[in-house]
Amino acid sequence: MFFSHCSSVLRHKPLFFSAFLINFALAALCQPAKIDSSNMLTLRLNLQDARGASVSQVFENVNFIPLETTKESLFGNISQLKTLKGHYIIFDYDTRAVLIFSSTGKFRAKIDGRMINEGDTEEKGKTQFYGFEIRPHQEDSIIAINSNKHLHCFNLDGKRVAKILSKDAYTRDMILPGSDAKVRPGYVRKLGNDSTHYEFAILTKTDTLPYFPFDIDRYKKDEFWDGAKFFSYGIPGEMFFVNLHGFNLYKVTPSKLSLAYRIILPASNTLPQDFNTNPIYVKKRGEFFRSNPNVFYRISFAYQIHNNLYMQMSCFASPSEVKKAIIYNLKTTEMTSLQDLQPDSLSHFLPVNDAGHYYDFVNRGFLLLKDDYLYTSYSSLAMFSFKEQLGDTQKTFSPLLDEYFKTQNRKSNPVIVQLKPKKN
Amino acid sequence: MKTLFQFLTASILILSLSEVSGQQANPNNIASVKGSLKDTAHNYHVKSATVSIYRSDSTLLNYQLSNTYGEFNFRNLPKNSNFYIEVSHISYQVLRKSFTTLNNATPLDLKTLILLPKEVSLKEVAITLPPIQMNGDTLEFNAAAFKLDSNAVVEDLLRKIPNVTLWGDGQITVNGREVKSLLVNGKEFFGGDFKMALQNISKNALDKIQVYNQAKNESNPMDSSLTVNLKLKKSKGIGHFGKIGGGYGTTERFEADGNVNMYTPKLQLGIVAAGNNTNKIANSIRTLTANSTFKGTGISVDYQPDFRATGINRSNAAGATFSYNFIEKPTYENKKALTANYFVQNRNNDVVSSSQTATTVGSGNKVFDMTTSNNSSLSNNHNFDSRYEFSKMGKQLNISQNTSFNTGESFNNSFRSSENQQNELASTNNVIGRNNFTNRAFSLNADYRHNNYLSARKKLRAYNARYSLTLNDSENERTDLTEFISFVDASTNRNFNRRYNNEGSNINQKLFFELPSLKRVFFGNKRLADIDFGISNDFELGSSQSNNRISDFNNTTGTYDTNTYLSNNLRTNTFTETPSLSLLRGFHKRLSNRFNRSLNFSVSAKQQFDVQDNQSAKSFQNIRRSYSNFVPAASVSYYRYQYGEHSNNVSLNFNTLIRIPSVDQLAPLTDSTNVYRLIRGNINLREAKTRQVNLNFYHYDQRGKNTLNYNMTASVSFTDNAISDSIFIDQQNRRTVYLANVDGYRAAYVRGEVRKALKLKTSALQINLLGSANISKSPGYVNGVFAYSNNLNTTSDLTANYTYKGKLALEAKESYGYYRSRQDAFNTNYSGTNTTTTFSGSYNITKKFTLNSNISLNSNKPSGREAINYNIWNSSATYRFLKGDNVELKLTALDLLRQNNSIINSAGANSFTFATRNVLQQYFMTTFSYYPRKFGKTAAKK
Repeated sequence: MFFSHCSSVLRHKPLFFSAFLINFALAALCQPAKIDSSNMLTLRLNLQDARGASVSQVFENVNFIPLETTKESLFGNISQLKTLKGHYIIFDYDTRAVLIFSSTGKFRAKIDGRMINEGDTEEKGKTQFYGFEIRPHQEDSIIAINSNKHLHCFNLDGKRVAKILSKDAYTRDMILPGSDAKVRPGYVRKLGNDSTHYEFAILTKTDTLPYFPFDIDRYKKDEFWDGAKFFSYGIPGEMFFVNLHGFNLYKVTPSKLSLAYRIILPASNTLPQDFNTNPIYVKKRGEFFRSNPNVFYRISFAYQIHNNLYMQMSCFASPSEVKKAIIYNLKTTEMTSLQDLQPDSLSHFLPVNDAGHYYDFVNRGFLLLKDDYLYTSYSSLAMFSFKEQLGDTQKTFSPLLDEYFKTQNRKSNPVIVQLKPKKN
Repeated sequence: MKTLFQFLTASILILSLSEVSGQQANPNNIASVKGSLKDTAHNYHVKSATVSIYRSDSTLLNYQLSNTYGEFNFRNLPKNSNFYIEVSHISYQVLRKSFTTLNNATPLDLKTLILLPKEVSLKEVAITLPPIQMNGDTLEFNAAAFKLDSNAVVEDLLRKIPNVTLWGDGQITVNGREVKSLLVNGKEFFGGDFKMALQNISKNALDKIQVYNQAKNESNPMDSSLTVNLKLKKSKGIGHFGKIGGGYGTTERFEADGNVNMYTPKLQLGIVAAGNNTNKIANSIRTLTANSTFKGTGISVDYQPDFRATGINRSNAAGATFSYNFIEKPTYENKKALTANYFVQNRNNDVVSSSQTATTVGSGNKVFDMTTSNNSSLSNNHNFDSRYEFSKMGKQLNISQNTSFNTGESFNNSFRSSENQQNELASTNNVIGRNNFTNRAFSLNADYRHNNYLSARKKLRAYNARYSLTLNDSENERTDLTEFISFVDASTNRNFNRRYNNEGSNINQKLFFELPSLKRVFFGNKRLADIDFGISNDFELGSSQSNNRISDFNNTTGTYDTNTYLSNNLRTNTFTETPSLSLLRGFHKRLSNRFNRSLNFSVSAKQQFDVQDNQSAKSFQNIRRSYSNFVPAASVSYYRYQYGEHSNNVSLNFNTLIRIPSVDQLAPLTDSTNVYRLIRGNINLREAKTRQVNLNFYHYDQRGKNTLNYNMTASVSFTDNAISDSIFIDQQNRRTVYLANVDGYRAAYVRGEVRKALKLKTSALQINLLGSANISKSPGYVNGVFAYSNNLNTTSDLTANYTYKGKLALEAKESYGYYRSRQDAFNTNYSGTNTTTTFSGSYNITKKFTLNSNISLNSNKPSGREAINYNIWNSSATYRFLKGDNVELKLTALDLLRQNNSIINSAGANSFTFATRNVLQQYFMTTFSYYPRKFGKTAAKK
């Protein structure tokens, strides 16, 4: 950004010298905030060495929650999951709907495009929305859907309780609980006619700490198979940040950004060092990943639960050939393969994710980490196929599953898998 | 017919039931074995490992992939027998475990079998390969895991693989899905005919067979086709194969053919030559090479040459084929290839035919024509075609050309007599003709498609352009001697000795350009009710010129005098312009892991402008006409894919076609030597407009075993102002044909097909039912009376194909055809049936010695006539010599019963014809063939 700024100045020679001084000052102002790497830990991980473990060695509690299938509640798969007052709120991209289920999976309400438009003469046409937020509203928490110019607020019965102009209420800012700080993704610093774009900034009442400047035109000039990501892992006021095509795990706290873990992979799984800078990869990134299927090109999720780092990476090779999801124990340095957990009585001998057979876990990883529970889901197609493979060896299931196997089939709604990791 | 249907149905039921009972109740097959696989080093169950079960003599019995729990389970094994299993996985060392099945129904539990991680260095010394494995999304069959005879070819290997079916018509299905392309090392093999690769490439040259879905369009994964790639062993990337053979038989029958084909990683080259007088006519280099494949050790019903082709043909042909891939490992989105073929053919054809035609001329009145004719022709044809293909991410370019040159001469004589209703001779006409011709043709086609749906930011993502050029040039010199004698009116007798010198040339250019999706360009991301629109333009410019010099023999001067009426210079310029605007709307619905559905509508408004300008030496032919017609089109298509069950495709299309009358229909020069058909034309003719609706339906079974697939096609068309004949038949049975626009032409067509394959333990059964019906209602005039002719043609074929252990192949086929032509106005009705029942069989007496035989029972039954029945029985014995089976001796006996006959019955709008033609009859032949074959740099193991 600084260089592009300089080149624009050089085009106006008479002003050059005075402008140079101003720019020098501007450049100093545009500098990103410092990253603390004093406590950085380098992790050398060969995911292919990950070992298996039985489900009960890793989790202390496993629950399967089949989501009720009715004509109204039929949906594809879960692309977003949150909980609110003991309910599961899910967003399904296939039907473009938010569905509300009770803690036992009983269907309660559905919010789709028609309901957002209901009685609305201003917003004609089909409503577009791609997810929801849980946000406070009049001392309560509600489901908020940002669509067109408004933020539509719904209660657990799917009834609209408010409609607010998005510009007044909608924000991508993430509050860091326990502090007055918040994180603003896509932060823009304006100085005169110039703007500098940053991946994010930590904003407090007194300070603004911007990180990772980037050229906003990069999406026009190049293609990316990743984006900047945040992962909350249950500790209030903390989350991980991973930059696009990056393998450094940064820890975001109210006062600073620190480099927590630097991950180094075996050469055969590693992106070239100059992958983000060498112009030969511009607009050829997809081609590179396709021809190097074992190279990991992004971290798709990362959570720290006690001493365990739960992580998944993406590459083009199929999960049957390459281990992609692991649990790394920071204390013992043991590595467990999440796609090779051996079902046992804790999970009624059913797999706790569909990795290696279907694609929900590979594509979406864990959907949520909340109140010490990790959440994933898999389809009824997968569930009934696992049950068929079990044969007669497993006859007892939880009452919810018993009922599910008796009344449902492969075409029914997906099943939520709730997992409580052990504290080791 | 009915009996055979009953027989086939019963056989199918018995075979299916015996298989079911074999699985369920055979007391000898109730043992089973199970176990689970574990990697103790990493502490997990091993999923998707290949577990193969072999008898103690190393014959592969079955295989499966371990499930989510690392478990395997083989059922229906013989009790108290010795087996071993082999477990293989890309990351582990091969594990072998022997066992004996129990003597009771309790499954033998091999418990947990421990797999050891494979060290990299051990990879090369892996002893056994799994027969099947998943490599990402590719299903792979390892050739080495299947023990076959050393002379086996790829086809023999495919027959051994469960869930792969080779159909009688050459189609291959994998898990019920049709294979759309077959590649060798990622490239088309000698033109892409499956037989070329399957019946020539040695099984021992093969590393693995890969089956995968090739996506044609990344934005639409449903638009993919099943591809089989034959991956050759690294050392077998270069090779050659072919055939040199010759045979001689009774009645001076002979045949000889030779072809040599070689390939390298980038180049494929073939040279071929063939000659025979046994009606084996190859019209292209591809047919020649496909007819001389090696074939392996397996058994299939040997399809005999087309012994029933009409006439006696002697043909000599030679050619070369060349293809070069600039990219050694091409993909659908990265391809650059050049192919070229040269073909020369010399053909001599003699046809003797006789026919009787009954024509209805009024209510209940008929006239009869008897014709015998001889036709012999000699021709030399040269054809050169080439094609360049280029494709790169979202861009495809194809350029092809075809150049042909053909010269020849023909002689014909025909003797025709006509009788009236009372069977009294009305007239005769004898024609003797000679014709010399030279034709030259060149065509060029270029097609460019740009489709970049991945670039989200580009507004114009797709456009298509096509250009074609055709040039034709012909010279023709013909002399006809015609003698017409009337027994009713002697004054109408005619005698002609006419010579024609015709020269013609034409040039035609077409340019088509299409912008299929324009909403984004004009309206950005606005939704506009999700309706997209596109425009296209079709432009055609043609010019043809003919210079005809016709002269008649003058008996007094002994010279040919110019016939000023028929001699002519005609130039026709045509121009067609069709702009089109299309609206498109798609509805897509998918529910993850449940179904994928899409419904697409498109409506096109098109206006077709035609201009035809004729400039002739004859003023009445100086006709300039222009036409403007609205030619709308519309389509609806529906696709549903139900995960793990089936997929259905339905499409309904509507389009409008315009046929504009030619100058020969508007104002022809009537040649009076065609005494029985004098064409008069009609200057007032208008363009004919046909509206057509097509319906297609396909059902693909997605289940793994014993699939049932079916499809159906139907079409209906309505023509207004159809250009139809208005025939006047005089007392001498001479027809004067005027053309007229008539409404009410209707036609419908329906075709359906059902395929069922059953793969049993030691045998395979395939059943194929194919049926079609054609119905039309054609209006026309006969002697001024308007009449509809209602025509119906149906055909149905039921084929059952059974193979047993690679030793015996049987095929039974029943074909039934019915035709009917009815004119209510004249109270006439012609109809008839043709049935053919064929039984074919091949039996491998030893690995080297095979017997083939087939018999077809034909019955031809026109209404009101005795049925004509004849049977054709052919047999052959083949013996192969040498270790590599490279030499073949074949004794063939054709038409053992001496009954071969060629009967062609046909029903026209108001006539019925019964015709016979000369055909080959009984002969015996001895053929020697040598198959040079070498795969790899060193000689292939034989």
